[in-house]
Amino acid sequence: MIPRFSLTRPGSIEEALDAFDRAADDVAYLAGGTELLQVMKMGLAQFTTLIDLKGIAELKGISVLPVGTLRIGATSTHRDIERSPLVRERAAGLARLESRIANVRVRNAGTLGGNLAFAEPHSDPATFLLACGASLTLAGRAGRRELEVAEFAVGPLATAREQDEVLVEILIPAARPGEGRAYDKIAFFERPAASVAVRLTVVDGSIADATVAVGSLTDTPVVVTGAGGALQGAPVLGDGFAVALDAAAMALGGVEAMADLNGSADYKRHLAGVLLGRAAGVAVREATAHA
Amino acid sequence: MHETLEIRLTVNERSEAVRIEPRETLADVLRERLSLTGTKVSCDAQVCGACTVLVDDLAMSGCTFLAADADGRSVRTVEGLARDGRLSPVQQAFIDHAAFQCGFCTPGMLMAATAILEEHPRPSRDQVVHGLEGNLCRCTGYEPIIEAVLAAADAGTVDEGVAGW
Ligand SMILES: Cc1cc2nc3c(=O)[nH]c(=O)nc-3n(C[C@@H](O)[C@@H](O)[C@H](O)COP(=O)(O)OP(=O)(O)OC[C@H]3O[C@@H](n4cnc5c(N)ncnc54)[C@H](O)[C@@H]3O)c2cc1C
Ligand code: FES
Ligand code: FES
Repeated sequence: MIPRFSLTRPGSIEEALDAFDRAADDVAYLAGGTELLQVMKMGLAQFTTLIDLKGIAELKGISVLPVGTLRIGATSTHRDIERSPLVRERAAGLARLESRIANVRVRNAGTLGGNLAFAEPHSDPATFLLACGASLTLAGRAGRRELEVAEFAVGPLATAREQDEVLVEILIPAARPGEGRAYDKIAFFERPAASVAVRLTVVDGSIADATVAVGSLTDTPVVVTGAGGALQGAPVLGDGFAVALDAAAMALGGVEAMADLNGSADYKRHLAGVLLGRAAGVAVREATAHA
Repeated sequence: MHETLEIRLTVNERSEAVRIEPRETLADVLRERLSLTGTKVSCDAQVCGACTVLVDDLAMSGCTFLAADADGRSVRTVEGLARDGRLSPVQQAFIDHAAFQCGFCTPGMLMAATAILEEHPRPSRDQVVHGLEGNLCRCTGYEPIIEAVLAAADAGTVDEGVAGW
């Protein structure tokens, strides 16, 4: 059984911050509860007050801002994102990865904000968002601030979020002409064993620049600069592409992977190398279609 | 006195008002307060799907869904599938295809299957498999369950759709 707690259901961010101020020390925000209620059940964390964010209109909804940025409200569920025509059109890789998270029940309840705020090292979307250069907005007593996704997770289950801060929205920049963004993972259990996101730009048949992010290997998803660099300048057709993919996979050798239930560090690096090839192929196809 | 709150919800189309503690899960309330014990709890960790119920037509893990979050919403459980003593098509198909043995996973499977068929009235096999991915069965080997869901779908053409997106 979940230990006793009291529940407040604010209707605005202001009310949520007031509720946070009034509550004792052991207070937590609640979204879908797929992580929070589970850790409370298992006795890994206890809270006497939960502040439910799901009734706050500003945290909902998916829209496109005037500059073309995709804005995803923090309490959008994985299912909302997977099904959103805007996401399918503007960040197809994200819609696809969302449709493959966990199982349908976790996707129906779990939110993107909760996923990022929990900062589980095996998060799917965090890796993709990192490669895309996405950012997020936090609102707290001290005001609002925008952080890069790259600055947000600082360790396993640890983020740069101040305790009172509410994660409001996730902002994904529009793909530039000739840009492709893709993600692939392999999972033996509930969460991924290894995952790779690739963002690249194709100009005149070769890769002008590339970012490779790897998830589930390290404490937080990481950008592997050497892997992105190895893809840069490569032609997207023929042997040249295969050679560049091999070099990029080699560059993953430097990632300080952790062994876990899924396998040894070497094995997980190997998996990431295979996934890198698959994701890069999809990203090139997307880039060529957007040229 | 512990904090309590009153929730109003419909369960299988009946209005209910229940005074609960915030920590009670939807599975607790269905089973212990409303005597609807068709919904099972097994892993208690959102992995097995024995507790699958529909909240506003979406499959949820009753074991880890706060009853408070069902306030004002419509909940469906396995007890609501049969109409006027007639089994729903998917229930009948489970019998016809021997889609259960011990039966412990069956209420959750039926609810997950119901959600799939409401979203895709003529699902592809892929869509059925994808939709049932989080429901575990230790007896049947899944094949008869997939067959049953496909058989329960409207006869005729099959959705072109691939699983997920
Ligand atoms: C069986 C299972 C399988 C899973 N598989 C996967 C998988 O394959 N890939 C994957 O990426 N994830 C997976 N997950 C993780 C899944 O729980 C998250 O993806 C989910 O989205 C978390 O969101 P939530 O809304 O349920 O968060 P909650 O549990 O409600 O909250 C999580 C944490 O974030 C905080 N929080 C939530 N929202 C906010 C906000 N807006 N502002 C500030 N703080 C906030 C809470 O206080 C809490 O600390 C899995 C989980 C389970 C149980
Ligand atoms: S009991 Fe809820 S998923 Fe297993
Ligand atoms: S019939 Fe026994 S677990 Fe499925």
